[in-house]
Amino acid sequence: MFKKFSSEEVSAQNQVKASVQRKIRQSIADEYPGLEQALEDLLPKKSPLIVAKCQNHLNLVVVNNVPLFFNIRDGPYMPTLRLLHQYPDIMKKLQVDRGAIKFVLAGANIMCPGLTSPGGALDDTVAAETPVAIMAEGKQHALAIGFTKMSAKEIRDINKGIGVDNMHYLNDGLWKMEHLD
Amino acid sequence: MAGKPQPVRVLYCAVCSLPAEYCEFGPDFEKCKPWLIQNAPDLYPDLVKEANAKEADKVANQLQSTGISSGGDGAASSAPKQEEVKRLPGGKIKKKERQEVTIEKMTRNKRKCITTVKGLELFGVKLSDASKKLGKKFATGASVVKGPTEKDQIDVQGDIAYDIVEFITDTWPDVPEAAIFFIEDGRKVPAA
Repeated sequence: MFKKFSSEEVSAQNQVKASVQRKIRQSIADEYPGLEQALEDLLPKKSPLIVAKCQNHLNLVVVNNVPLFFNIRDGPYMPTLRLLHQYPDIMKKLQVDRGAIKFVLAGANIMCPGLTSPGGALDDTVAAETPVAIMAEGKQHALAIGFTKMSAKEIRDINKGIGVDNMHYLNDGLWKMEHLD
Repeated sequence: MAGKPQPVRVLYCAVCSLPAEYCEFGPDFEKCKPWLIQNAPDLYPDLVKEANAKEADKVANQLQSTGISSGGDGAASSAPKQEEVKRLPGGKIKKKERQEVTIEKMTRNKRKCITTVKGLELFGVKLSDASKKLGKKFATGASVVKGPTEKDQIDVQGDIAYDIVEFITDTWPDVPEAAIFFIEDGRKVPAA
């Protein structure tokens, strides 16, 4: 999704009003309970919260010129990888095998066999249509953020085709956009 | 503040910006190697070994070359510079664009026409300056227009196709006459 993404795609940046800000905070806190404690550091109540609207119904939540979260249409908020690296335990994790890394880093969606093979790992509590962190065999840090197409059980049973949509991966356009101004 | 998760500090490669452990899958692992050896030797033990071996080779080589001739250094440094190849995502190699200027005449309202000049920017010419100069020289309107495929081009009002070659070569000596082409009936015709 962010394969080609640059500041040119940002069509409007607005400082949102307090009520919207509260709503965003609330939905992030609901989505990532583990992050609640740190949320005050990330989205200080005082400092202005900016929402950057981009093409394809994409919104970026920006604080102090750093993009922290993104969402599509009214979908769930997902952290950027830089943020996820800092707080790795806020999302459920799926692990792909080593052979898949190359393709995921080129923007490919995550196929079921890469998750079910010996190098992969599945969190059985993952339901369909939830944001997940994609980890890799033998690596500590997440390499992508995905949005599941099937639940973990289905991935294991069907074991074919796209299991997780690749939303955001290392070295894509959003990754390169460390600062937005 | 109990239970508050502390942010993890991740080691990012200074060269390719990925976390160091993903450098091997990054756009240019070769370039990251020196940085990795210095900053994250425990992640890639093979690399360090390799580097040490190379270092040893180098030292040995140097010893040899100094023994043979003292003037050998100059030749080594003037080794052919590797042409930088831009890699597109997916490993495709982007071709270096041919440096040429194309001039096309488009008719408008039967007896009026517009001359478009493409590719001047490849010679390091500022398009806004160029359009001003062209407008002044031919006493017509000239503007920089976003052309097809996101390339900028200069539109000049009027038929100036034949004078323009001389003008371009005079004003910007960097542009050789051989690199200027006309487009006539969809075919490229060299101006020279």
